[in-house]
Amino acid sequence: MKFRMTILAFTLFTLAITSCKKTEIQEDNDEELITTMILKFTPSTGGASTSFTFDDPDGPGGLAPTLDSIRLAPNRIYNVELQLLNKTASPVEDITLEVKDESEAHRFYFLPSANVTVSNLDRDTNGVSLGINSTWTTTTTGTGSIIVILRHYANNPPNKLEADNASDPKSGTDIQVIFPVKIS
Amino acid sequence: MKKIIFNLVLCFLAAQALSQSCDGIITGHVVDADTKQRLTGASVSIPSLGLTQITDDKGDFKFMNVCDASFTLLVTHIDCDDYSTMVNFRNKLHLDITMPHARKTLGDVYVEGQKKIVNTGFAKQLSAKELNEAKGLNISQALSKLNGVTILQTGSTIAKPILHGLHSTRVITINNGVKQEGQQWGNEHAPEIDPFIAGKLSVIKGVDELKYGSDAIGGVILVEPKKLRTTPGASGEINALYSTNNKQQILSGSFEQQVKSLPGFTYRLQSTIKRSADVRTPSYSLNNTAANEVNFSVTTALRKKNLESELFYSYFTSKLGIFTGSHIGNLTDLLAAIASDKPDNIFLNNSSYKIGRPRQEVLHQLVKSTTSLKIEKHKITLQVAFQNNDRSEFDIVRRADNTKPQINLVINTLSEDLIYEHPKLGNISGSVGLSFMQQNNSYRGRYFIPNYDANTAGAFWIEKWQKHKWQVQAGIRADFKNIDTRRIRSSGDTISNNFNFRTFAASGNIGRDISLNWKTNLGISLSQRAPYVNELLSDGIHHGTATYERGNINLVPEKSTNISLGLSYKNDAKTFESDLLLYNNNINDFIYEQPKPDAPVLTIAGAFPLIEYTSTDAQLTGIDHSFQWQIIPSHLTWINKTALIFARNKSINDWLINIPSQRFTNQFAWDFKDGKKLKESSISIEMSNVLRQTRVPDPKNGVTDYKDPPPGYMLLDMEASTKITMSKKPIILAASLRNLLNTSYREYLNSFRYYTDEMGRNITLKATINL
Repeated sequence: MKFRMTILAFTLFTLAITSCKKTEIQEDNDEELITTMILKFTPSTGGASTSFTFDDPDGPGGLAPTLDSIRLAPNRIYNVELQLLNKTASPVEDITLEVKDESEAHRFYFLPSANVTVSNLDRDTNGVSLGINSTWTTTTTGTGSIIVILRHYANNPPNKLEADNASDPKSGTDIQVIFPVKIS
Repeated sequence: MKKIIFNLVLCFLAAQALSQSCDGIITGHVVDADTKQRLTGASVSIPSLGLTQITDDKGDFKFMNVCDASFTLLVTHIDCDDYSTMVNFRNKLHLDITMPHARKTLGDVYVEGQKKIVNTGFAKQLSAKELNEAKGLNISQALSKLNGVTILQTGSTIAKPILHGLHSTRVITINNGVKQEGQQWGNEHAPEIDPFIAGKLSVIKGVDELKYGSDAIGGVILVEPKKLRTTPGASGEINALYSTNNKQQILSGSFEQQVKSLPGFTYRLQSTIKRSADVRTPSYSLNNTAANEVNFSVTTALRKKNLESELFYSYFTSKLGIFTGSHIGNLTDLLAAIASDKPDNIFLNNSSYKIGRPRQEVLHQLVKSTTSLKIEKHKITLQVAFQNNDRSEFDIVRRADNTKPQINLVINTLSEDLIYEHPKLGNISGSVGLSFMQQNNSYRGRYFIPNYDANTAGAFWIEKWQKHKWQVQAGIRADFKNIDTRRIRSSGDTISNNFNFRTFAASGNIGRDISLNWKTNLGISLSQRAPYVNELLSDGIHHGTATYERGNINLVPEKSTNISLGLSYKNDAKTFESDLLLYNNNINDFIYEQPKPDAPVLTIAGAFPLIEYTSTDAQLTGIDHSFQWQIIPSHLTWINKTALIFARNKSINDWLINIPSQRFTNQFAWDFKDGKKLKESSISIEMSNVLRQTRVPDPKNGVTDYKDPPPGYMLLDMEASTKITMSKKPIILAASLRNLLNTSYREYLNSFRYYTDEMGRNITLKATINL
């Protein structure tokens, strides 16, 4: 009996050990990571578009991110399109598509302190502002900054309303980048 | 003593005077109040008549030819405190005696050596009464009934124990003889143990720590199941519980048998199923704070004359919802959440069993075999254990259709322990042991700690000497630990590190019984804890605190020198007991998280304050005091507990963070006389006073906390219990009322004090049926 017990015990251990043979080491995979935000400006009168980027290709920590200054001409109207990327994924993942898919749970805010106003934000499926596409209008020359914020509504249903501001308790921050702005 | 003699004389006289009929019979049995098992080998005596009987293997005893008289019946058993009862005997009597040994004990510091347990100099144990009251709580909450033990919480579903200010990897948890290996480094990682498995919950410090590791700077938690049946037959227990606050339902059962045809073979099956819905604070309920748990275990044992072998398997799974409103994206969000006194209504006032994101899912499996062999007076024990811990954390994600966890950690541990106990040499008993551990940790998803392989080898030697009023115990231990870590960054870069640590521990203890009333104990322990992988190599955003945490590969083992002095008093009548413990724990190279205010980490979500693992010299000093006073013997008892602790960061002359504030508890319990139907009825009320923590790190040394500690609070709890018998089966019915006054409060040691109040009034109804 005792012999059988011992055999049973060791069989179980052998099974346990062999059944969890070394797992293959995986790469870091933070699928929720956004490394890069690109703002593409196209003058409403036509012409070549310009892009300004926040880029942190290795994610938080490690190498410091790079940040462009947004340079715009005075008294112009620009159509702006936002693009979000996760460059740690291979191939590079376009996060903008995910935001579009869950548009009723996301919202961009643009808080300028320069001579620029942001309007005409595109809408989510419920007709509430989303902000992947927007219109930027510049006035006179000057310098300042603009804060671009992406808020995510964690609750289901999100209950996202037009009146919600960028610090609404219903939503949390996914992106908060301060771009320097120069209008010249 | 005088009283006993008086009784004896009285009984003697009475017996003389009334010596008419002398053919009476007394029968009965003796049951252990703790394990509900029949007690074999208990001595039942009637001193005044000079009669003594020993209970048989069914716990039964029988006296023949007893004269009608009044006398004292005395029951003694090696595992229990003595029990005596006055009997007014006429002709025939049946007595069922429950040895109430732990019922009245304080579950507090006691100097060992009084009974057959020759253990450390210092231990605290939950009494059977406290263990019963703790039914329905998680294991950490149950332990916090011990004076000096508090809990570190993440919301209302996750709790882990703090011993004298220390927690996580500074505390070793021994589950049924095996060192629990999960991801215990994390503040939000609760111990994966079913509290219903525990027949005994205790905390030890000192010499016996050395059996388990050199790194138990804070102490050791022992979770021990009830002893298995030794006598033929079957028995079982069913516990059913319901709590009103979060609609918690628990069903736990166990069945055990010793099959007569298989002498020496015994087994137990045990299982617990638990689910709870969203938690309610006094003014709102918190969405996504439901939880569920499914556990089971199987124990088999074989006992031969010189051999004892046990095979144990346990399976634990839990799914814990985390309050949705605690989801924080960056520092701005955190500050906004702190600024508002209650979360947004969108996160409140559900009352469902549904668990969404964020949540944790944890699986812990343990299989172990312990075999002890006695060769004459030598004893050798071999224990082999395998543990598998699989933890998944589900964050709030962009895509609602994402079902994957964002982080998955799997840790597999194999451990081998060999212990040799030498025969008693005069008054000296002792043991030597070897222990080995092989561990593999792997992760998927977001990086938090690296993959690693760790190997440890350790050896210990403990000797204990006991004579008359003195006990002296001493031991040493050494461990070698090797850790090989590997991480592949998403860029493809591989980061590998190799660490080797040597740690040493020694412990000594002297106990002396100054008189029958006074006992004292002095213990000194040196222990060392190697830095854990998270302290060496963590690197990432900690969302709960909106900080960027970074490890430090240059850390060295912590070195602790802990001195404790215990003093206990018991009056002759045993109606008053008092215990005092003073301790001072000096820890050199104490690892903690130091803010680096000059180096914020800029990310796409904004700047995060950097916190880096650093070492300092720390000092934790404290006092635990408790007394128990039977104001009206066998009816009214007053239990008072005080726990004070002061923790300094000596290098920067500051306080340490997350140290329990001073707390005081007063309990008044009333035990009723046994009625015809209701037995062992009692009711108690407990008042806890927790002061505001004012000893917190100075923001001048870097901001570690964005909210001042919450104000102190006072809570009232009540407990009522009684025992009825239905078709010869005892049923214990009990009710616990927590936070009777529905007080709104926040606790400093709950990281969710940033967002929400604590649980409001909760009434738990419990039934325990013995089969």
